[in-house]
Amino acid sequence: MAENIIETFDLTKIYKLKGGKGEILALDKVNLSINEGEIFGLLGPNGAGKTTMVQILTTLLQPTSGYAIVDGYNILKKPKHVKNKVGLMLESDMLYYRITGYDNLKFFCQIYHIPNYKDKIHKMADEFGLNNWLNQYVEHFSSGMKMKLALCRTLLLDPKILFLDEPTLGLDVKSTTFIINKLKNLNRTVFLTSHNMNVVEKLCNRIAFINKGKIVKIGNKNELKKLMQSEIKVELELNENNGQLKYELTQQEFINEIIETDFGFIISLKEREYYKDLFSILRKYTILKVKERETSIEDLFLKII
Amino acid sequence: MINFNAIRSNLLQIYAIIEKNIKLNIRFKYSIIFTFINPIIWVLMPLIVMGQLFEFSDQFGLWTVENYLVFQFIAYNIYLLKDIVSEFPGQLGREKFWKTLPALMIAPFNRFNLLLGIFLSRLFLISIPFVVFFILCYIFIPISIPTILFIIGIFFAIALIFSGMGLIIGVFTISNENIANFLSFSLALIFWASCISYPFEIFPGILQTIINLNPLYYIFELLRIGWVDNNPLITISSNPFPFFILITCLISLPCIGVLIFNRVFKKYGIVGY
Repeated sequence: MAENIIETFDLTKIYKLKGGKGEILALDKVNLSINEGEIFGLLGPNGAGKTTMVQILTTLLQPTSGYAIVDGYNILKKPKHVKNKVGLMLESDMLYYRITGYDNLKFFCQIYHIPNYKDKIHKMADEFGLNNWLNQYVEHFSSGMKMKLALCRTLLLDPKILFLDEPTLGLDVKSTTFIINKLKNLNRTVFLTSHNMNVVEKLCNRIAFINKGKIVKIGNKNELKKLMQSEIKVELELNENNGQLKYELTQQEFINEIIETDFGFIISLKEREYYKDLFSILRKYTILKVKERETSIEDLFLKII
Repeated sequence: MINFNAIRSNLLQIYAIIEKNIKLNIRFKYSIIFTFINPIIWVLMPLIVMGQLFEFSDQFGLWTVENYLVFQFIAYNIYLLKDIVSEFPGQLGREKFWKTLPALMIAPFNRFNLLLGIFLSRLFLISIPFVVFFILCYIFIPISIPTILFIIGIFFAIALIFSGMGLIIGVFTISNENIANFLSFSLALIFWASCISYPFEIFPGILQTIINLNPLYYIFELLRIGWVDNNPLITISSNPFPFFILITCLISLPCIGVLIFNRVFKKYGIVGY
């Protein structure tokens, strides 16, 4: 059985509002455990407590109460040991724009005492397709390149645990796919927070949903998807907007929800057995395509949060 | 037993901070050039005023017609070093604004290395005008080699004392800018009443009482006395109290700075960005 590399014990963080006008409970007695080597995803809406969690686990922020153990060290008692084990990449790339990409990487390699850093920098920059840009000021980099450079920096420092807070925010599909592929093949513990369900679904072994500072659901991908299996999503593609069909569908008790899309509707059936009843209605209309949609983490997210 | 590996790794970290800071500072070169020009403006007015005052009297305490130019050049160098104090909140504030601070703060290094890194990078950047004005002082009143070393030692101590002050304001720039502004203002008052470029004797009685309570006054005065005496042993033996204040501030302020930095950052973290 894999060992827990991160464990939190009733981790709580309260922010006081300006002028003593109340408090915000950012984390509410969170208990989590993450196994060594797993890619763990923390999902939640804006303000759910994801970034606070990452900041506490990387010793940037003190919890109001509770504590966490990271790679065997208490974050409150041995923060220096924890710092030696973790790498952090926030949604802001944390790069110095006024110096070159190479100087950015070199600075952190020197601070972390990385041996032979010159060769390692060039090797990693080559892998990330940044070699030709290394001697340019970071201010001239595109968002995708900045994120790649930030990931380069984090990986060069060879951390045991990687904390990534929204690592693909604002990136195009190509850069996102690149970063996903890189992270997939890392073979180390990754703690990832994101809004992007697609990224989390592709990367993570286990996922937790956080809302208003509380963990509301946790499990591996398949376990979580099973929660949604009784509900069937069907995509209908129509050649024109059919108000009559929509009206008729809304009258049916076996349909949970109808979502209008650009091409038609997405229908949530209560049970698979109701397909027969659905088709008896659809037969009366001109339908271009009927397709069962695979349950995604996004569906579960929307249901839970 | 001395751990040479630990010393080496600390020196490497300090070097990394110095190199990074210098590169960041010389990206826009004019800001550095104005760092050298600004203190000239600060000493120009006292220079003119003092020139006029000596028409009424030959001497104001230690200040005479023969040495007041040297004292103004010493004042220029103190103003250059004073930039170290503002460099800490300036740099840490910029890093907060650039959002590079989290990467720096989770790096496993001693805060003394941060203090020395910022201190030495600033010292490097101001070294040329500092040396030029030091040589100007020497041209007007030559001093012996032991006195040169003694004076440079005092300047170095002042720079370290300023670093301690800077680090304290710096951490509040990260965690509570209200307090940082309050501290900056308080420090401006302390500098104002420290006789950097005017003799103590020209001030009215009430101000003299306030100046007498200011430790910086004694430290700056030691520089001038040291230069005029041209004998470090005589300077120290005849001014034990200013020397004691210098040593006390030199030891305590960087340590207090690091202590407060760690405490405040641990408790409040990065606030306001």
